[in-house]
Amino acid sequence: MEAGALSNPVLRARRNLTDRIGEPLLRGLSGLAAALAVAALVGIAYEVIDLARPAISEFGIGFLTTNDWNPVSKDFGAAPFLYGTVVTSLIALVIAAPLSIAISIYLTELAPLRIRRPVATLIDMLAAIPTVILGLWGILVLGPFMRDTIQPALNDVLGFLPIFSGDPSAFSYLTAALILAIMATPIITSVTREVFETVPGDLKEASYALGATRWEMVRQVVLPYSRPGIVGATILGLGRAIGEAIAVAQVIGAAYTIHLSLFHTGGTLAAQIASQFQNSAGLQKASLAYLGLILLVFAVIVNVVARIIVQRGHIKDGPDVDVDAALTEAQAL
Amino acid sequence: MSKRLLSALIAALALAVGVAACGSSSDSSSSGSGGGSNSPLVGAGSTLVAPLMSKWQSDFASKSEITVTYGAIGSGGGIEQITSRTVDFGASDAPLTEEQFEEADEQGEVEQIPWALSGTVPAYNVSGAPKGLKLNGEVLAGIFLGDITSWDDPAIAKLNPGASLPSTKITPVYRSDGSGDTYAFTNYLSTVSPEFKSKVGTSTQVKFPTGIGAEKNDGVAAAIGQTDGAIGYVGLAYALSNELSMPLVENSAGEFPEPGVKSVEAAADAVTKIGPNNEISLAELPSSAKGAYPISTYTYVIVPLESEKADEMKKFITYAVGPDGQAYGPDLDFAPLPKQVVAAAKQAVAKIGG
Amino acid sequence: MADGSHALLLDRGNLKRRNRVNRVVEIGSSIGAVIAVAVLVIVVGSVVLKGAGALSWHFLTTPSGLFGDTSGGMANALVGTLVIVAIAAAIAIPVGILVAIYTTEFASSRFAHPIGFVLDVLNGVPTIITGIFVYGLLVAGNKPSGFAGSVALAIVMLPIVARTAQEVLTLVPATLKEAAHALGIARWRTILRITVPTAAGGLITGSLLAVARAAGETAPLLLCNFIFAQGVLTDPGEGLASIPLFIFQSSESPSPEAHTQAWAAALVLIAFVLVLNVVARAFYARSRKRMGA
Repeated sequence: MEAGALSNPVLRARRNLTDRIGEPLLRGLSGLAAALAVAALVGIAYEVIDLARPAISEFGIGFLTTNDWNPVSKDFGAAPFLYGTVVTSLIALVIAAPLSIAISIYLTELAPLRIRRPVATLIDMLAAIPTVILGLWGILVLGPFMRDTIQPALNDVLGFLPIFSGDPSAFSYLTAALILAIMATPIITSVTREVFETVPGDLKEASYALGATRWEMVRQVVLPYSRPGIVGATILGLGRAIGEAIAVAQVIGAAYTIHLSLFHTGGTLAAQIASQFQNSAGLQKASLAYLGLILLVFAVIVNVVARIIVQRGHIKDGPDVDVDAALTEAQAL
Repeated sequence: MSKRLLSALIAALALAVGVAACGSSSDSSSSGSGGGSNSPLVGAGSTLVAPLMSKWQSDFASKSEITVTYGAIGSGGGIEQITSRTVDFGASDAPLTEEQFEEADEQGEVEQIPWALSGTVPAYNVSGAPKGLKLNGEVLAGIFLGDITSWDDPAIAKLNPGASLPSTKITPVYRSDGSGDTYAFTNYLSTVSPEFKSKVGTSTQVKFPTGIGAEKNDGVAAAIGQTDGAIGYVGLAYALSNELSMPLVENSAGEFPEPGVKSVEAAADAVTKIGPNNEISLAELPSSAKGAYPISTYTYVIVPLESEKADEMKKFITYAVGPDGQAYGPDLDFAPLPKQVVAAAKQAVAKIGG
Repeated sequence: MADGSHALLLDRGNLKRRNRVNRVVEIGSSIGAVIAVAVLVIVVGSVVLKGAGALSWHFLTTPSGLFGDTSGGMANALVGTLVIVAIAAAIAIPVGILVAIYTTEFASSRFAHPIGFVLDVLNGVPTIITGIFVYGLLVAGNKPSGFAGSVALAIVMLPIVARTAQEVLTLVPATLKEAAHALGIARWRTILRITVPTAAGGLITGSLLAVARAAGETAPLLLCNFIFAQGVLTDPGEGLASIPLFIFQSSESPSPEAHTQAWAAALVLIAFVLVLNVVARAFYARSRKRMGA
């Protein structure tokens, strides 16, 4: 292959020692780096399982359904925190997903071309705000607003429902869910926007040519085409929401059992670990690591499923949606 | 082929060098810290003692060139960190249980030494309620058990004849992290209320049946301040410095003493017996104790007998329990250690470093 | 077209209704965008309004006060974060770029695909779990330290750097690489002297985004670097104060002065993160243009 080039005496002179060790050196070092990345992931899984072992052997699978967290009697269970994680994340998505779709429609179909970039950038900036600052804002601004305005209003109108009953509290499942919605929206928007932009223009034009209004075109062409992508985007947002520890710990208070009222304080898997890990010992620490294991499995599955759905969910002739490009755009990686 | 082999060898070599470098640096850091007074004494634990600790830190550094770094993560955290030896000393308001001693002794015997004396006080925030509301152990237990739910409950009214009490709902606030204040408070409640003892128990972290949890003394104080109708418990220094309203709690002599240095001191003077491992409980006071605050508590330092920092720890604890360290106490609402406790502490300190 | 199956699109006289529905949806979408931008403005606005007042030279250069003393500042947290993030970047950026080089240049697709998968999974690991891992690895049996925090942050940064680098390196036109090969230039030289510099814009983007992310991460520091002295320290072997933990702890305090300090520190952090993001985007746009993507 290189014979032709090497017949040139100038270039042959370059095949010196540096060249000969250069390639193996680079290959070796970069291979080492890749191995390190794999080792990090394996290490994380191993360490969490190792720390959780005493709790796993003590409680087994029943841990997942035990609705208790009692440091005195050493009865620990994941149910209150699984519940909290599911409830806060679901509410966050119920708010964030439609909002994100609306925003994506606006950005891809409605907005004047000049303001598309700036508005998209502004929304992506939301993803860049460190979560501890969102939590700070949650404690000092959103929480009191929830307690003084929103929760009493919900109580007045829908108080017959158990989820909206109870006394208003600044620290609550609902406050946490709202913060998570703020975090999830930019991610879902970014990926959904990417997906919307891959919809072939001629399909859209055809719809208009047949006399559809803009909304009808979106409903008949864009949304069906993008459905897998939207689902995937939402699941990615879910992944972000379930893993958030700090902002949730700041605004959700604490709890030892499941509470039905959304106004009550509660706990999630991640927030519970953040609050108690340094303070606990023995079986309690192992139980927290067990919570971490559940969270890890949950988060990994969600993340992987989301990416698969987005990658595979495109119509045969369409281009691949580059999830990472979308996420990079959102600075949400 | 040979290129691949060569690159694999290079990778392995780089890895080996990296691991060796990590290994030797951790070795050198652990042996280097033994000799020099350059690396600080690292401690963690009780938030109750934190205000006093911060004065000790700066004063001790100027007197001895030894820096003390402290992380106020709660007594539970202090116990855990010293057990796993990630810190040089742990600070806890809750004395170690037998089980905890066993675990801590796994890496070498530890010593528990009382070094400060203060109290855990209830604090409340109820608009429309009078200042200095009178409460007793049973009522407090009832509140935290969820049996007493509004401020105009007859049990409270009985203790405060003539006072106008709002019908606001009571929101108990408790520590969600491992806390010596929780220990002191639950110890007291378990002593005065058998129902509390069986339903909740005494520990640094308990499952309260009702109310909202917050982290650390700061968090509880903040939650109380933000919630109308709230009552929680915090370290005495926090209540006083944040100007929280404190109820007057009935003591074993039937009095309602002002929480403060004087009443804490009276409580300490009433209990002269020092338990094993220097544990002293002030929850059960004799009825002869006049003016004694019923929820007073000692706070302890837990330190390994043998360690590389043994000499520095000895100096620090001697300073803390001595006149220099204790002098900072009263301004921060810590009572001076009684003589017999100082003596016991000094005896224990002598054991450090073998 | 006159086929009755396209009933919707024939003029059945319901055009007004359809237009009205359309209008409602259009307004709804616009409102959605307005809400999102409004939230951003409210949050950042709160930080600016409440924090700007406390931001002073004194605040930036004085270490934080001891417990209860809010007359101090954030100097130790500022220096601590700079040290921790710098070390994390020094670990994550070279390793991340090397991983990307490996998967794009050297690895067969049998290896490249799984490694990409590993990076994606690593990306989705909640940072509190990364904190548990590094706690077990470096803190247990040792002590909380800035270095442990850096390692945890490096693991968080790695997938960001590596994935962006991968993307950018694959976009380097094959013609450049083929030309170099035809001239007999060794592969490693091509990579280091041609491919990487061409992709530099995107590599910088990934690095800046990763740094911005690391500067704001709290959970790993909460587990690995949570005990620190009050003075301004730079030794990563000891516990170092950090801006996210400063904000976290001040936010849970009852005193309004501590809250103001939290806002001020938040302002510094947000400014840093947003500037990095804007610069990163600029590099990203430039690098895509350069490679005609």
